[in-house]
Amino acid sequence: MLDLSAQDTLPLSEPQPDTAEARHLTTATAPALALALAACGGGDGSGSGPSTGGGAPPVIVRKPQSDAEAARFVLQTGIAASTADVAAVKTEGYSPWLDRQMAATSSSGVAWLAARGYTQVDTNRWFDRSEPADYMIWNQLLGNAPAARTRAALALSEFFVVSTDGIDFRWKSQGMARYWDILAENAFGNFRTLLEQVTLNPAMGQWLNTLGNRAADGRGRVPDENYAREVMQLFTIGLYQLNPDGTPRLGANGQPIETYTNIDVQELAKVFTGYDFDWTGTTRIADPANAGQFIDSFDYTQKPMTADPTKWRSPRTTGYHSTEGKSFLGTSIPAGTSATDSLKAALDTLFNHPNTGPFFARQMIQRLVTSNPAPGYVQRVAAVFADNGKGVRGDLNAVFRAVWLDDEALAAANVTSNSFGKLREPILRLAQWARTFGASSKSGNWSVASTADPSNRLSQSPLRSASVFNFFRPGYVPANSNTAANSMVAPELQLVNESTAPAYVNFMQRVIAGQEGATNDLSVPYVEEVTLAHDSARLLDRIDLLMTAGQLSPESRTLIKGALDATVVTEASDAATKLRRVQTAVLLVMAAPEYLLQR
Amino acid sequence: MHIGKANEISRRAFLQRSSQVAVMGGAASYALGLAGLGEAAAFSAGSDYKALVCVFLYGGNDHNSMLIPFDATNYARYAAIRGGTGETGGGLTPARADLAATALAMPQGQVLTNDMAYALSPAMPRLKALYDARAMAPVLNVGPLLAPMTRAQYDSQSVPRPPKLFSHNDQQSTWQAYSPEGATVGAGGRIGDLAMSSNGNALFTCMSATGNAVFLSGQRALSYQISTNGAIAVSGVKNGLYGSRAAGDALRGLLTNANPHVLAADHIAVIKRSIEAEAFVSAALQPISLATSFTPPAGTNSLANQLRVVARVIAARSALGVRRQVFMVSMGGYDTHDAQVVNHTRLMGQLDFALDAFYRATVELGVADKVTTFTASDFGRTLASNGDGSDHGWGAHHLVMGGAVNGGRFYGVAPAIALNTPDQVGSGRLLPTISVDQHMATLGKWFGAASSEIASIAPNIGRFSTADLGFLPPV
Repeated sequence: MLDLSAQDTLPLSEPQPDTAEARHLTTATAPALALALAACGGGDGSGSGPSTGGGAPPVIVRKPQSDAEAARFVLQTGIAASTADVAAVKTEGYSPWLDRQMAATSSSGVAWLAARGYTQVDTNRWFDRSEPADYMIWNQLLGNAPAARTRAALALSEFFVVSTDGIDFRWKSQGMARYWDILAENAFGNFRTLLEQVTLNPAMGQWLNTLGNRAADGRGRVPDENYAREVMQLFTIGLYQLNPDGTPRLGANGQPIETYTNIDVQELAKVFTGYDFDWTGTTRIADPANAGQFIDSFDYTQKPMTADPTKWRSPRTTGYHSTEGKSFLGTSIPAGTSATDSLKAALDTLFNHPNTGPFFARQMIQRLVTSNPAPGYVQRVAAVFADNGKGVRGDLNAVFRAVWLDDEALAAANVTSNSFGKLREPILRLAQWARTFGASSKSGNWSVASTADPSNRLSQSPLRSASVFNFFRPGYVPANSNTAANSMVAPELQLVNESTAPAYVNFMQRVIAGQEGATNDLSVPYVEEVTLAHDSARLLDRIDLLMTAGQLSPESRTLIKGALDATVVTEASDAATKLRRVQTAVLLVMAAPEYLLQR
Repeated sequence: MHIGKANEISRRAFLQRSSQVAVMGGAASYALGLAGLGEAAAFSAGSDYKALVCVFLYGGNDHNSMLIPFDATNYARYAAIRGGTGETGGGLTPARADLAATALAMPQGQVLTNDMAYALSPAMPRLKALYDARAMAPVLNVGPLLAPMTRAQYDSQSVPRPPKLFSHNDQQSTWQAYSPEGATVGAGGRIGDLAMSSNGNALFTCMSATGNAVFLSGQRALSYQISTNGAIAVSGVKNGLYGSRAAGDALRGLLTNANPHVLAADHIAVIKRSIEAEAFVSAALQPISLATSFTPPAGTNSLANQLRVVARVIAARSALGVRRQVFMVSMGGYDTHDAQVVNHTRLMGQLDFALDAFYRATVELGVADKVTTFTASDFGRTLASNGDGSDHGWGAHHLVMGGAVNGGRFYGVAPAIALNTPDQVGSGRLLPTISVDQHMATLGKWFGAASSEIASIAPNIGRFSTADLGFLPPV
């Protein structure tokens, strides 16, 4: 074995979060948290404590102690806050209020596209356009789709990544809408079900090449390895063996242990062969733009791919699924096993792998609460992934509740921690702005364009990641940074540079004032805020509470209030003057570090 | 002065010791130094100029479809593996006749493995002309290695492999920074560390036209992002916000005032730099007018747009106060698991157009022999086909271009066109015979790094027989 230690060439160990401080903060804070008691069996029975049987101990319902604490929870578990939300959380307590939010059923993106006419075959030729995919997801994010579910589904869309940019089959927007619906429908369902639906979705099938993938033909053709590799690396187990708290296990040589080899990839690739569109139910519709031509209906983009060749567009009696034995990660599937049985065995193996819980838990915490969770936080959520308390593995309702209700997420002291939290990702800033100030769509179509342009817009647009590696990596560390010096990670900072940072501010300046082309279908009246415009302190109080959970620093507040007061606005001022002050206040808050940071 | 290994190690030790969460007093230590004096020069004094331009092909370029065997024997082997029939093509194989126009003539005396003759992709006539003009050279089978390795050593694991082979993000990072995702110091940044003291304005030593990438980050050198339209101002700060100067001033304060939170402080450092540099950069670029067109004959070409702004920056080098610069540009879409023939051919055409336009711009600016451009990518791809695409590999062929390049010939060892030879590790995944360290060392040496400094650019170089592949002239 070559000795590499002689030179300083090996990478530094992976960044470890500074866990001691975070835990210390949480512990120190716990006694200060007020606990309210609710009668056993009362209310909706959704408390976190055991409540079965008579004589069970009282359920403890934890409640926020201030509007700011309530707003903070609303923003962590959703997209935007209203004064009504704040009041409700204070009254109901965290857990009961959250359960109510999570119970709201999803509103289908596909059904919405259909209702808006985007599944019609007409001269608009929506079947060949990607804009409806943007309109669909913006309707979900900016409109009134259930916030907790939509927020969780967005986090899932950055874990199980598919991009509209990578889809070129006819009816791609409708196919992407179906993919989104799978994420939203299963966000609080079971991981195993979600994994299978994601795997067999045609948009994912094209994105990572399961669609049309074939068995080896003995003449040099081999199965495509793309899905096999990424389903392991990105969707389930990751590259390194993990401890239950998400930290890497180290081998005898002190190095992390890789979870799979390229042989595993090649073997698993055989599982994902033989799939194509399920064409049953797809009809031919006369193309109004081309006499005598027909367009296939969009049904085939909605159904799981099938390995049954009799259901394909060009039916066959024999399929293309590999009949070879498949041996990976210690699982062996005998030769001759069907596609369906092979898939079940493969996904069960990945689902039950000890890595999957901590791997998934850590990234959901990062997307929703903090970039650098303490290992104990990851471990607690991963434990819920392993067993929801009723012996069920992969219960995502329980997993997301565990993420949002963890002490580390709720601890009030973390509001002033210099390491807790994450940068708000740009698309969530736009969504929060729209929902907070009551955006509506002038046309009803939510025809907001892609915001991906890095020089003029947000450098990010929902469902349009440049690759399956998402807009940013969970382990991103900016070079020469405070993040690096503190051995932390900062995923969202991967989008921040000398071009994109000013571009965001410029974009929001135009958006807020209704001068941005990408969002010119939105109408935002700022009704409540305009009534406060003459009173800069109260105006700022409201915007501060709803946008930052009341976290603006005194310094930021002073800067913003001074800027607002530099232009005199009274109750007698005209509407345009009042509106301008409101818009100024909103933009300045959205540029403040206490807003860019969510903690 | 330059950052030597000792300093690098002590800095790492310092960083690892600092366990407390704290914001370094330090956003300031990375500040601009606009128009400041350079420190004692590591490179030779004077007013000369040199630039390195990394063209990163994201997704893993199928080198097998960029450099295609053209001699009858090797073409036949290639076609047999990649779905061709006879010489008419098919599968991933172009017809042999279609390669004639881009066939690369072998120079006198050079013989490749199995008497291989290569053609460029038929979509690359411009680069074929640059090869003929000796301004471009292919470098064969380059990839990450920790030490030289044979197939037997790979199989027995008696020589360590680079971690996480075949994984996109990790091999991107390994090509750029010698270690997998999470690396914070890249090869270009390491070169920038040595070069920044040669520049009056150190901030512009490492410039990206393609977003954040670890390649350009050094121990001290920062990657400064420039958009294809130049530097971007914060409109409200520059012009007042919604008509209010007071609001514009408040905006500046909110964006740039110090903040004790680690992540917020890093965001602030970036936008502070952006605001402080913008007027200076814009003023430097404003008078620049290039006659060379970067507008493609049809469609759009993102790479050409990026290289256009790089050319404009090079043209503005005096006003910017720089003598040594490392640039990064990129194009995506190379993960050709399917529809490879159509997609890869399109990508090759875009690469051909953009590189040629950039070369002609450097000729126009009189710096053709001062600017060396090189391709890099996640990895090469399998020679084996999955029907209409190829899979993740390891070593790959790359191109170097520039007036200084000793072009019109090949560097390195051509791999056999086969799936079972000792120069690959299965399915035609090439076992590299040139390491990324050697590639970067060669570029860095031409750029001005002293022999004693090469190890700081290419940390594994001591295990390889040569640090100079010879495609650039001695300095």
